[in-house]
Amino acid sequence: MKFMKKMTAFSIACLMGLTLAGCGGTSSGDDSITVYSRDASSGTREAFEKANDMEGSLTDAAVTVDSNGDMATKVGQDANGFGYVSLSTDFEANNIKALDYEGVTPTEETVLDGSYGMQRPFSYVTRADGDFADDRTQALVEAFIDYLCNSTEGQQVVQSAGGIVDLDKTTPWAELKKNHPIVDEDNSDLTIRTAGSTSVEGTLKAALEAFQAEAGQFQFTMTQSGSSDGYKRVLGDEKDGANAADIGFASRNFEDGEDVSKGLLTGQYCIDAVVAVVSADNDAVTNLTADQIKGIYTGEITTWSELK
Amino acid sequence: MKVKTGNQRKRHFYDGILQGCTFLSSGISVLVLIALFVFIFSKGWSLINFDLLKNNYWSENYSVETLTSQSDTTFERPADLSEDAYFSEKWGIAFVDHVDAHKEKMILVEYIDENSPLYHLSDVSIRKNPKAFELQVGMQMTRLQYTDQDGKIQLAGGLAGHGAQDLVNTLDQDAVSVDAMYIQTTGGGIRGSIISTFYLLLVSLIIAIPIGVAAAIYLNEYARKSKFNMMLRSGIETLTGVPSIVFGLMGVTVLFPVTQIFGATTTSILLGGLTMAIILLPTIIRSTEEALLVVPQHLRDASLSVGANQSQTIFKIVLPCAVPGILTGVLLGIGRVIGESAALIYTMGTFINDSPTLLSQGTSLAVQIWSIMSGEQPNYELACAISIIILFFVLILNFAVKVISKRFSKAWY
Repeated sequence: MKFMKKMTAFSIACLMGLTLAGCGGTSSGDDSITVYSRDASSGTREAFEKANDMEGSLTDAAVTVDSNGDMATKVGQDANGFGYVSLSTDFEANNIKALDYEGVTPTEETVLDGSYGMQRPFSYVTRADGDFADDRTQALVEAFIDYLCNSTEGQQVVQSAGGIVDLDKTTPWAELKKNHPIVDEDNSDLTIRTAGSTSVEGTLKAALEAFQAEAGQFQFTMTQSGSSDGYKRVLGDEKDGANAADIGFASRNFEDGEDVSKGLLTGQYCIDAVVAVVSADNDAVTNLTADQIKGIYTGEITTWSELK
Repeated sequence: MKVKTGNQRKRHFYDGILQGCTFLSSGISVLVLIALFVFIFSKGWSLINFDLLKNNYWSENYSVETLTSQSDTTFERPADLSEDAYFSEKWGIAFVDHVDAHKEKMILVEYIDENSPLYHLSDVSIRKNPKAFELQVGMQMTRLQYTDQDGKIQLAGGLAGHGAQDLVNTLDQDAVSVDAMYIQTTGGGIRGSIISTFYLLLVSLIIAIPIGVAAAIYLNEYARKSKFNMMLRSGIETLTGVPSIVFGLMGVTVLFPVTQIFGATTTSILLGGLTMAIILLPTIIRSTEEALLVVPQHLRDASLSVGANQSQTIFKIVLPCAVPGILTGVLLGIGRVIGESAALIYTMGTFINDSPTLLSQGTSLAVQIWSIMSGEQPNYELACAISIIILFFVLILNFAVKVISKRFSKAWY
């Protein structure tokens, strides 16, 4: 029976050796690209796909992540990862590197002057005229939209929270507020409810907080869940449901199916740019063309060496 | 019968392998648990302090104006001021740079002289009703509006991209008068979520315990062995396995109209509590039934034989003996409520509410973790800190329930 014992020990050793060899084989000296993508409802993904003319052609090998933050983390941890995030993302903290697009480095200037191609607007739409909780809420929402889009203070807040704005086109709030007598009242009993894109969360939160101090300490609730909910919860079929909101946001232009003309106010308050990113440890690329991105995204280019 | 040496060795060998497997498995599970705790504590422990527990999540925002906008005295830097602080001699105020739990940079007030023109202010957030306001140490200087030598209005502070040093330089050199400021309190705390979690526990347990216990008593004591009752029981058992997110969807569609009767206009803590009560029911029914099953039959017989009727027997004799088992069920339920997130995202919303009420949105601690991690910038440290607090809660509740069940248990077997 000594033979049995030896055989077992030997086979276990073989098995362990094989496993180790297997692990080693996949992790060292690998050149293949891992594509990360957001789920189909994401505004960032839509902006990324539209900019490079590759809607609906994502490779089957792509890993789906569920938020911009998740994307940044995953690509940062994967030396072979390739993904896309919004320009307002903290690149350093997530260990990711922004790639140039068609030779243009993504910065605020290149986005504002339009030379950087992969960009998207942050749009908003409010409920229809007279469809708010009461007249004061409607007046307050109107005042907030004016503050958010047109005032120097509001746009500055948006900018410091990561949005790309043109401060030259703004007016001091002290002048604008003359049109909005509501902001001088005690508004602590009013609530502004927002819904829609999660990408707008940072800029919107900063603007709401700043406006709270300017407009009588009103309350606000933010339920950001995705661009497609922006229209739905303000004018669409969920507008009287449990998740109804006063202002809906989308990190893209509203689509044909979303009839925003019914809303009291609609427009855009800042621009965000989508940036192709790789791990900061990846030295293979610094610039990609639209064709290269399309190739990677659709699965035609699968290794980093093909990009050189 | 004499065992052959060969067979004995063979048996020893197999016994050894089996024993080794159990050692290995328990070793792995202990290791994984230790690794989990080390990870959570090493990441989150540095953020745990009393401020985290007592602070609001959202900053309070004030728009304030100065009463006297110019400074004609010179202030002296206090001796005990820390070296990181930048002191403005002209205005008698010191600032420090700070990075909060959400990794946001900000300028905080480190010291303010009582005679400084920036100390006594007027809060004009509600323009028609200005209030007296005193600038406190620890507040956040987000924006400061001043007039320079040429009479131009300028902006400084965190929003203008300044650090504490820039701000002090601007104040000392450029600012002739300071007119208005935008002040924020530091937020980022979890007080609101702790309160919401307690509300949620309260609502769900108040509904689930009586219904669950009563249902278990019916099934175990009154119900005859009929096909219908068998189906009822297996139905309840199936419910235990239904994923909570399905209950969440059911909550937001079926139970929302119920909460609307009470005046809810959005998803609310009440809706979350009702949904959790339904999720808890099968657990509580099961554990109560188990507890009732182990109460010895002779107790019931003795009670009936001295003239008590069935209801008296059940509620005065059997139920008190089953208390420890029921409490175990409640404890499991509490753990379930504290740890649940999927169903609550649909029914309570993901808005972190600092002053939650039954009919407003709010987040439990677990949902706040989800909320923090799903943002633009996931924050592992804060998430781990909240995890530690959740672990503490569960530990304390564990002990509390054990103590209570020991005190009130009438079972001696």
